[in-house]
Amino acid sequence: MKVATPHMGNAYIPLSALLSNLGAEVIIPPRPTRKSIDMGALHAPEFVCLPFKVNLGDNFRALQMGADTLAMVSGMWACRFGYYGRVQHQILRDVGYEFDSVLLGRDGLAPVYNKFRDTVDGNLLLGWVHAVRAFKRKAEAMDALEKLARKIRPFERGRGSSSNTLAQGLELVHNAQTLKEINAAREESLALLRDIETETGGPEPLKIAVLGEIYAVLEPALNFDIERKLGEMGIQAYPVMSVYKWLFRPLKIDPSIIVDERLARRIAKPYIAYVLGGEEHQTITGTIRAGRKGYDGVIHLYPFTCMPENICRTILPRIEKEFDIPVLNLCLDEHASPTGVATRLEAFSDLLNARRRKNAK
Amino acid sequence: MKVGVPRALSYYRYFPLWKTLLEGVGAEVVLSGPTSEGLLENGVRHCVDDICVPVKLYYGHLMDLAGKCDRVFVSRLVSVEKAENDTYTCPKLIGLPDMVKSALEGMPPMVEFVVDIQNRSLKSSVKKVGAELGAPAATMRRVLPEALAVQELYEGELLKGVAPEDAMRKVLGKNGNGAKRGRHAAINKHAKEINIALVGHEYLIHDYFISHDLPSKLARLGANVTYMTQVPPDVIERELGHYGGISWSYEKELLGSAAHFLGRSDIDGVMLVIGFACGPDSIIGEIIAREVITEASPPLTTLVLDEHTGEAGVATRVEAFVDLIRRASRKKR
Repeated sequence: MKVATPHMGNAYIPLSALLSNLGAEVIIPPRPTRKSIDMGALHAPEFVCLPFKVNLGDNFRALQMGADTLAMVSGMWACRFGYYGRVQHQILRDVGYEFDSVLLGRDGLAPVYNKFRDTVDGNLLLGWVHAVRAFKRKAEAMDALEKLARKIRPFERGRGSSSNTLAQGLELVHNAQTLKEINAAREESLALLRDIETETGGPEPLKIAVLGEIYAVLEPALNFDIERKLGEMGIQAYPVMSVYKWLFRPLKIDPSIIVDERLARRIAKPYIAYVLGGEEHQTITGTIRAGRKGYDGVIHLYPFTCMPENICRTILPRIEKEFDIPVLNLCLDEHASPTGVATRLEAFSDLLNARRRKNAK
Repeated sequence: MKVGVPRALSYYRYFPLWKTLLEGVGAEVVLSGPTSEGLLENGVRHCVDDICVPVKLYYGHLMDLAGKCDRVFVSRLVSVEKAENDTYTCPKLIGLPDMVKSALEGMPPMVEFVVDIQNRSLKSSVKKVGAELGAPAATMRRVLPEALAVQELYEGELLKGVAPEDAMRKVLGKNGNGAKRGRHAAINKHAKEINIALVGHEYLIHDYFISHDLPSKLARLGANVTYMTQVPPDVIERELGHYGGISWSYEKELLGSAAHFLGRSDIDGVMLVIGFACGPDSIIGEIIAREVITEASPPLTTLVLDEHTGEAGVATRVEAFVDLIRRASRKKR
């Protein structure tokens, strides 16, 4: 069985650990590019949200690379994401590809669990236990590396050195096989990151929270690697969500994530009274918290026509006023250009610097 | 007290209920004017750019009410049917009052009508509105069954194929919704040769400004129009058995009735009318086009409407579709 999943930030690292431990051969399509996104946009419905088109492009690439099984989460939510798998796989079949679908969530867990009966050597349950352990360990390692790189980036002496080291570290973690090797790779990569030459003693960097629709926040191909861009502009970026949180939220095993979600819903309640099915509570709460913690600004990212985030975008100006926190809304679609985004980021950081000087007087 | 009701979105579903309820508790109902260019422009200006047209229209209608009433009536449709699985409406309908509260300034205070049938009955939602308007319990006991009865009557009229605004006039009296005379009087003069089914949200098809009076256009071209509202709920339920797994209640209706029409031999063509940037419809349109259609199905076309759609564009597409159907039926003979 050759399995592929669409990209979402560095989620491929824990996901491929999970699938390969279950005995499947994992096909990792190249990161989304302009070409693969165009391919997705060509076959996707006209005004479906951008992540659909990007994911569809990834699936095309994966099938061209010989994948015979496509995996995707799905569900019956208010957000369109729950239907991605169903519609995308139908589109791909209509184009003429033949493959097996694994839709996690739609038909319950049993079919997915049993899917790997033939590929796992020995006991299936034991195979799953091993796979989930490797998955968890790699996800944690990935999260730790991302966090450290984020912290160091604004202070690095050589531009791009932390991003390059992070890429090296992630590669090490990705290639590690046993739990022991994963731990060793994690420690080695963290040490490499700590060794990066930094410059301290300058002015305190601007603090910006990055939030919005989860895929737009986490997928560098979609947001033109905004986290790196901000870091290299000397700005400390605080993404409200992370791939780790996204992977573990539905599993409900990490208490800190459960508490965080509940708290976020409670804080957002006066602004959004009901669940809308997206990241609306994190967006609203993230902005409020950024205001309370004294951050300099907030960048709100969302794909064109995203339903929950459009509602947030309507509400954010009110929070902007109430909590005195500047918000930059960036709406992304397949026509967005890196230059356009970069210009807006530069202008935003100029404004925030001016605001800081004014407030200091 | 004057309560303003915007003539948009769920107005087309629930207005008879609202009107009976509001008047029963002693309020005067003020409806916003019919959609016009100025009203739409006003809505577009105050709305986020990439939201769908119906929400922009809703904003416009609300602003039309500012200064004309003491309270505005805003609906929040969370779930509109009782089902085993979770069901929702579109997130924008769930978050509508939240959006309005944050975006529009200088509006009269809101009366929120929450429909969340998964968690509470329609009756209790109606009662809550009554209580908010200060109606005593005795009045509510009288008004509640009356309002629900009128609503049922209205839904019966819709099932017969009467357009929403005409049906409202039928159940509420001539001046029930302040709309002009029945539209279908003029149309019925033309001979009908083909049957076209219209599938789409009623707030698009029956807002004759934004749809450029699509039903009349079709009728003038000699088409007999069947509305989606004419498909009984049990038929929709049966059709959904084949294409299940959808959680949006209104889109379920779209999918079920489209499947019903596409399987009927007396229907010559199906028109799917969707608003640009409508989230659920972008998925449902694709499911209809890819999962439902078979070799034997009548032709299906999709008409996308937005605030820029020109009348000529709609007319051209409608004419082309009707011509195509005519040619196909000539060939068959």
